[in-house]
Amino acid sequence: MNEQTDRRNAEQNGLRISLWRQQWVFTWKELCETLRDRRTTVTLIVMPVLLYPLLGIMFRFVAVGEVSKQTPEYRIALETEQEASWLSSLIQSGHEMLQHASQPSAGNGKDSAAEAKIQFLVPNDGAEFDLEETTAEGTADLGIRVTFSDRQIGEGFPGADVEFFEVENSPLSHDAAHYVRQRMIATNLMTATNTIRGSGQQFDLPVRDSTRWVKPLNQTSAILGLLPLVLLLMTVTGGVYPAIDLTAGERERDTLETLMALPVSRVRLLMAKFIAVLTVTMLTGLMNILAMAATVYALQMETTLFGESGLSISLIVRLLSVLLVFSTFYSAVLLLVTSSARSFKEAQALLIPLMLMTIAPGLVIMLPDWRLEGWLTVVPVVNILLMARELLEETLTTVPAMIAIASTLLYAGAALSLAARLFGTDAVLTGSRAGWRDFFRRPVEVSAVPSSAVGISVLAILFPLHFLASGFLARVSGTDFSLRLMISSLLTVSLFAGLPVLMMRWLRISWKSGASLNRVPIRIWPGIVLIGLSAWPWIYEMIIGMQTIGFHSLNKTQINQVQELLKAWRDVPVALLVFSLGILPGVCEELFFRGFLLSSLRVEMKAAAAVVVSAVCFGIFHVVLAGGAAPERCLPSTIMGLLLGWVTWRCRSVIPAMVLHGIHNSTLLLIASSHQKFANLAVGGLQQTHLPATWLTISAVILGVGFTWTAVATRTRTGSRILIQSSQG
Amino acid sequence: MEDRRITLSSSSQQLQVISLKKLTRHFPSERGLITAVDNVSMRTFAGEVYGLLGPNGAGKTTTLRMLLGLLPPTSGEVEIMGTRVSDDPLRIRSFVGLVSASAGLYQWLTPLEILKYFATGYAMTKSEAAHRIEELTALMGLSSFLHRRTATLSTGQKQRVNLARALVHDPPVVLLDEPTRGLDVVGSQVVFDFVATLRGAGKAVIVCTHQLDEAQRLCDRFGLLHRGRLRHEGTMAELQQQTGLPSLVEIFLQILGRSNVLPSEVRS
Repeated sequence: MNEQTDRRNAEQNGLRISLWRQQWVFTWKELCETLRDRRTTVTLIVMPVLLYPLLGIMFRFVAVGEVSKQTPEYRIALETEQEASWLSSLIQSGHEMLQHASQPSAGNGKDSAAEAKIQFLVPNDGAEFDLEETTAEGTADLGIRVTFSDRQIGEGFPGADVEFFEVENSPLSHDAAHYVRQRMIATNLMTATNTIRGSGQQFDLPVRDSTRWVKPLNQTSAILGLLPLVLLLMTVTGGVYPAIDLTAGERERDTLETLMALPVSRVRLLMAKFIAVLTVTMLTGLMNILAMAATVYALQMETTLFGESGLSISLIVRLLSVLLVFSTFYSAVLLLVTSSARSFKEAQALLIPLMLMTIAPGLVIMLPDWRLEGWLTVVPVVNILLMARELLEETLTTVPAMIAIASTLLYAGAALSLAARLFGTDAVLTGSRAGWRDFFRRPVEVSAVPSSAVGISVLAILFPLHFLASGFLARVSGTDFSLRLMISSLLTVSLFAGLPVLMMRWLRISWKSGASLNRVPIRIWPGIVLIGLSAWPWIYEMIIGMQTIGFHSLNKTQINQVQELLKAWRDVPVALLVFSLGILPGVCEELFFRGFLLSSLRVEMKAAAAVVVSAVCFGIFHVVLAGGAAPERCLPSTIMGLLLGWVTWRCRSVIPAMVLHGIHNSTLLLIASSHQKFANLAVGGLQQTHLPATWLTISAVILGVGFTWTAVATRTRTGSRILIQSSQG
Repeated sequence: MEDRRITLSSSSQQLQVISLKKLTRHFPSERGLITAVDNVSMRTFAGEVYGLLGPNGAGKTTTLRMLLGLLPPTSGEVEIMGTRVSDDPLRIRSFVGLVSASAGLYQWLTPLEILKYFATGYAMTKSEAAHRIEELTALMGLSSFLHRRTATLSTGQKQRVNLARALVHDPPVVLLDEPTRGLDVVGSQVVFDFVATLRGAGKAVIVCTHQLDEAQRLCDRFGLLHRGRLRHEGTMAELQQQTGLPSLVEIFLQILGRSNVLPSEVRS
């Protein structure tokens, strides 16, 4: 409505400035304000330029310490000086033999013949000395007792029995023993070879080896696991200052009042600020990625960190898109928090807990067992962090990613519309009363429709709840079927009807107008019933079509569950089935999507835009199925949503859409439960049988008649409809 | 916008621009409702400067905020240029220019950018805005610092930018909220000249202040607010006739009751 008033103002004043240009100028001003400020530029440029090289050097340091220590050092304890010098000679000659036997290896210099530094620990004369004790207490890595024998290695070089004192569970001790053993074996081999050759026979070592070092593909280093967190945290840090500056800063510098005096809705002013904050955040993200790429390139760590392909352009693009989703969410939340603040100080105080709340889930992604699946896909912040990690590990799958993105954008929308309610309000402006308390205070006045902020907020709450509820329902599959039906009905009613109705009661919204439960003339009903009866073949074909182009989602267990479900249907009275799975969801979902949500969206949007937005939300909700996701249901449901939205708009009431939805669901259920081969109708994904062409033709004709009837029957009511259109300009 | 100006300048002084009808506003507080503005009715005409006077807390700012559509009235109605604020608060705002002593400027922008921004906010086209800014630059003497960051401007220069900003859309109504607060003699004189210019241009002007001596020099008609109620209204001569007192200060002292602790401004 505000937008409409804006445009009307512009037109009545004889000025033809486009709203887009106006919005662009608003955004440009916010960008200038924030980008000319040195404090923004510092976080934007200096921070990443300093941080990543530092992190890189740290990583280098750790990597050198752990992975490729060039010369290991072993401390070996012996009982006498004589034994030590014998062992030293033995290792020396063995080492030469090894170098001779082994080919120079490919890759780095880490090969079996690499020399280690050895420190021999020998007791002073007469001192009490116990090899076992010395190695156990860690003074030496390895203890060796040499008992000389009369066997000979070479001239004046006696053989011996060697006993190792190796420390249990100590890699260093094992390495040291391995090092010595290898050289003993080599010495033995050399002695044998020499003996054979001494007897006049030809002899060469039959087996020679070489080593090529290979990097593992799915190596997740600790640093790599931390990288998304570092990247996201650094990125959102960029948005913190602009968010405070553009909201609480306006109030502190006394520019807010003149801004609010502009004939422009708060939503549009806030939107300009949001885009500015988002831009700065994304610039920070880009700077961070560039600084990271430069560091990685300079320190030659591409393959260590990102595998064989290194830091490719496609990886950067994917990283940036995750950053975009996260930044959208975070910028909206930042603005929500800072819009309620009356000063810089207050805003900063409010933001500290927010930052902490971001870091805490950040630790979750350090746990390798946590994947982006199930309920984690709808937990804010956690879902995006997991998504970023799986993106880097290249294990990310489409459907959970889509749910994570959809829910995150929904939360962002809710935060933003709440922020628009708070921004520049009298409480914030005059500082007379607490903004937040006001916000949660029950309004005194009765209002006709919910605001867009309320609509989007309820949507944002409903989405994860619906997701969890459907998952919960899938878990109780073992129980009695009629109990399941009851639980499902209860959940549907409490979520899609209960939540909006409670909200409307609390906000004193008349629930007849709030959910547009208006009376409709009898003449429209034939059209509605015809559409309700004939839409299903097309929806069915659309699902099949989506599956044909590759949207398959149900796995074997899920299909089995569905088949069991269908068997169970037969034992339940048809009336109960139709009521609890057909009519009830139809009525409740319509109450929310076409009643509550559509009315609230209409406050800020044109009818067509509001219908489209509510339909897309409806489509996204239907992707969620039994705790998993069925993306093939998205498009058909969206189209169904468009249809129902159109009907609601034409009839200026949600009741016809409720009836239409109920008839549609019930028809599907009746056909699916009576004919096994149409089970697809109810759940999708079972079979891919196309309907006979005659059916499709007949339904198309009936559908056409239904549409025309509805259009004509609602045409006589156009007096009011035209009025609305003209007020939109 | 062009034709609006023509109507204004060609019509008589009696063209009613602003009308408040039984305007009332309550605020909730710890001890129940506070009535900030109580049943205030008044009218202002084109080319008239109306002084809305009263001590701190009399309800001046609340009235202004309702005039701007920033605050919905609890009851009563505001009408500007024939449009009711409850019908279309955004449209009302496009009729009004707001000057406030406390108003700040965007410190990282130049005066030119600020004026352009507000011109766009008032839905003016590029060329209209450019033309209008040129006029205002000449009128307010902004040319020497039009391209400098406002953070580097002196108080007087900032004040002139602020006055220009309020007029950028050439509104038929200008509201001045404590326009001389914190200004020296020269700064105050700029405001007086500004108000004279507005009167000459046929604007309806409302000045809210508690500087009574200043108001007496500036305004054509006065409304005396106390505790949210309009106690007296009229020209200086009418007020003198109603109360038998010679000056605004004395009239106010009578309203407040002499035993009250008076704000220093009123005493002076």
